[in-house]
Amino acid sequence: MKMKKQLASSLAIAFSTLAVWSCNQSDPAPKGDYVSGVFVMNEGNFLQNNGGISHFARENNTATADVFAAANGTALKGGVQDYAASEEQGIILVDNSAAGQDKVQFVERYTFKDEGTIGAPDIENPREVVIVGRKAYVSCWGSNSDYQYGTGYIAVIDLTTKKVTQKINIAKGPENLVYNAGKLFVGTTTFTNGKILTVINTNTDQVAQSIPMEGVVTPIGVDVNGKVWINAGIKALRLNPESLVTEATLAIGTDAAKVPGSFTMSNDLKTIFFVLTEFDANFNASGKTYKFNITDSQVDVSKPFISRYFTGLTIDPTQGLLYAAVTPSQTQSGYAVRYRGDGNVVDSIKVGITPTGFFFQ
Amino acid sequence: MRFSVFTILRFVSYWILWASFALTTTAYAQKDSIALDPVTVKGFVPQKFMSGLKIQRIDSASLALVRFQNISDVLSAYTPIAFKNYGPGQLSTASFRGTSANHTAVIWNGLNINAPTLGQTDFSTIPVAGFDQLSVQYGSAASIVGSDAVGGSILLGSNASANPLHVSVGRQQESFHNHQARVDIGYALPLNSQWAFSGKTALYHGRMNNDYPKPTRNTYALLPTETSQKGIVQDLFFRAKNDQEISAHVWLTDNNLILTPDDSQGREMTRTSAYRTMVRYQVRTLTLRTAWVRDIIDYAKGDISRPDHSVTDKFASRIEKDFTLNIGSNVNPVSIKTGGEWTHYRSRVPGYAYSPVSENRTDFFLLSRWQPTSRITASINLRQGLVTGFIPPFTPSVGLEYSLIQKTLYSLLLKGSYGRSYRVPTLNERYWKDLGNPGIRPETGWNKELGLEQAFKAALGGTLRTSATFYHNRIKDWTYWNPARSYRVENLQQVLARGIELQLGYQRQNGLWRTGLDAGYAFNKSTQEKAYDNYSQEIVGKQLVFVPEHTANANAFGQFRSTKLTGQLQAASKRYTTFDNSQFLDGYGLVNLLTETTFAFDNFKLVLQGQIRNVTDTFYLNVRNNAMPGRSFALSLTFSYDSQ
Repeated sequence: MKMKKQLASSLAIAFSTLAVWSCNQSDPAPKGDYVSGVFVMNEGNFLQNNGGISHFARENNTATADVFAAANGTALKGGVQDYAASEEQGIILVDNSAAGQDKVQFVERYTFKDEGTIGAPDIENPREVVIVGRKAYVSCWGSNSDYQYGTGYIAVIDLTTKKVTQKINIAKGPENLVYNAGKLFVGTTTFTNGKILTVINTNTDQVAQSIPMEGVVTPIGVDVNGKVWINAGIKALRLNPESLVTEATLAIGTDAAKVPGSFTMSNDLKTIFFVLTEFDANFNASGKTYKFNITDSQVDVSKPFISRYFTGLTIDPTQGLLYAAVTPSQTQSGYAVRYRGDGNVVDSIKVGITPTGFFFQ
Repeated sequence: MRFSVFTILRFVSYWILWASFALTTTAYAQKDSIALDPVTVKGFVPQKFMSGLKIQRIDSASLALVRFQNISDVLSAYTPIAFKNYGPGQLSTASFRGTSANHTAVIWNGLNINAPTLGQTDFSTIPVAGFDQLSVQYGSAASIVGSDAVGGSILLGSNASANPLHVSVGRQQESFHNHQARVDIGYALPLNSQWAFSGKTALYHGRMNNDYPKPTRNTYALLPTETSQKGIVQDLFFRAKNDQEISAHVWLTDNNLILTPDDSQGREMTRTSAYRTMVRYQVRTLTLRTAWVRDIIDYAKGDISRPDHSVTDKFASRIEKDFTLNIGSNVNPVSIKTGGEWTHYRSRVPGYAYSPVSENRTDFFLLSRWQPTSRITASINLRQGLVTGFIPPFTPSVGLEYSLIQKTLYSLLLKGSYGRSYRVPTLNERYWKDLGNPGIRPETGWNKELGLEQAFKAALGGTLRTSATFYHNRIKDWTYWNPARSYRVENLQQVLARGIELQLGYQRQNGLWRTGLDAGYAFNKSTQEKAYDNYSQEIVGKQLVFVPEHTANANAFGQFRSTKLTGQLQAASKRYTTFDNSQFLDGYGLVNLLTETTFAFDNFKLVLQGQIRNVTDTFYLNVRNNAMPGRSFALSLTFSYDSQ
């Protein structure tokens, strides 16, 4: 008994010494299998609930198809809608085909170890996540069982307690989020006729403004001059970040049947890339990839940047390569295809099922 | 935005896919006594013309053992058919010999009862209570059975009661607050010197509440679902001494599945009802049959009071005539059956481009069987179908059985068959708005098989039968709800399914002891052969999804007096879930134990049965990536009275 006590106290001393010593180290390098590299969000095939996050190092051309499964021995059990990371924590939005099974999955950022979940009714049909300080904003369609996109919301999550502290109601399927200087810009899904740009004050977590637009709203990002870019219908708009007044309007072609999406900004914040999707009578999606400069007066859709259709598009902030997601079908592996700034292809990497976006660290 | 259109399309097309796009899986197995010999039971399907084909009759004792369960439980236990199962009480479709859910014909008293919209059967909606006889015919028998019989056929039949009065009432109580009940009444009486009457009335009811003690297993959800099932079966037979018979058959069945029932917004209801009716008249060698079947599917999400309502009526009439053809004084005559079948479909489905749609199908057939010597049986069968809008391929087949060794205690039989198969496109495939394809072609295939069967009448103190069958089935123009084209249906694939089936059956009776073992193993390689776009290169040569390459089953029983203990093993190797085989569900093995004892007094009997399912608490996943339940229990009591 005594021996045990002694052992325990010496272990305690050893550990506290270690802890103090660790604290003294300046900026310890993060440890884990996933400290750096490219993370791919895969939606999977809806009814099979087989999405996941793939990972590969930038210098490699093979990926680990499902890092959550590799780290935890169990799958995410749904499609991955989005992924973001705070300092130490990763947040995965998981969409399941059955009602009540959607969730926010927290993981340790560099190891992808399971750190708990938030499920229904706090999180239902999650779409996008943005992290602001110690809060995460998750756009959710709500239960949306009738597909009418009536009662959606932004769930505000306290990352310390991992609890939803507030739901900010937004109709018409809240989707894309862009954060800038105390304001969260919220758009809606392109399936709806929602034409409202909602601006949330992230200090009060209240809707600050609802701005009517000409078409369905998708916030794009913030350019080198600090201006906010918004897509509304087949137009790209430049907004003053303070007054929220539209300063410039660029037409994206004239065919309202073509849907712009997958917007991403170049690293110098001067160029915007996007995919223009069209559907044939049988709902087959096809399209091409375009770009425009923030100083352009209109978007030239006569010359595609890449004559290919992608299901996701993101630029690596480190190397500047354009990562494009290819989905042959929802029943076989997708690809991440890398392009240089001039539009020439570098290589392609087999990833999970239905890739739709990338996260870089 | 990203990709959301894909997502919504998936919602929109969800329920066609729900059942139309299914390829396979689960388990296998075999049973108490496999009758592999050419069965020539008097039946609704002309099995005697199926020479060269493998037919497995599931005996009534095996059916009685699972009398409160669904047909998929029997087929999983006694055959290598793999089920693609969405969960307990949920959609369960068959993959027979590596084919898709559309390639198994389900035949009730000679009539194909696959839902005409989906071209397949949800086996979770067919309880054992609904039929008296069950046979499984392996491989293509399209020349005899018609469309859909590509991987095999499930033959369900009604029996005329032999007993003046039989009444049985039983109920099974299971884990998770599930229960089933059935009542069966059989009756027979002579009407006059010429005619006799017999019949059966059966009622069944079941409810699966699936109240699992924990919502997850190994972190995987056990999806909350409720299924209720009810039905009535009514068979009437009038038989005359001058070889006349009139029979009428009615089977009304209703199956209601609700996913996540406690979520009033997100719950999903799928209610599958069928009214199956048939009148049959046989006088000597002429048989006339007419049938009306109505299939109803109601699907709703959230508010289940106003479902999408699909109704399909099928009117089918058939005439057939038997005769014998004398081909010489020294040779046995040839048995011939010839006839025709006319079917009219009329369907109102909310998702169709227009409504109602109607379609006519006609089939002519000529079946023959000849036994030139006692060692040889041969069949040549021919069929030609005609369908509104196109003509299915001419469908011939030849079958041969040759008895290599015929001794008192040992026999060895070689059998083989070569035949064409076809599948007429389903109504969904032709008429579904946007995703359907009115110009879609029928599928066509050639099935070859060769088998050896041997029987030892006195081996290890009992009888031992073994069989080995090799098959090779290539199917062209295989229709495919193409996920790369938003699930539009196309004649894209060419699939080759080939494999080996090994079966063993042993039975022994020693005083008051009876013991038996039935075991089976099947290897099936089922692969896509042709690329049709850039990325489909990656699926050529890959195993079809949800088709396990290896399945095995074993059923062993020991019986002393009227107490019987049965152990069942079902195992399947991994099942790929993506066409490029990049993902899969792990293989697994399940063990069930069943024990039952019968108390008899005078004409009364009481059967008490207990079951332990998934004895080893094995963890495995279904198609939805949800967990299947662990160990569970069932207890049943059946009380019966027989006047004789």
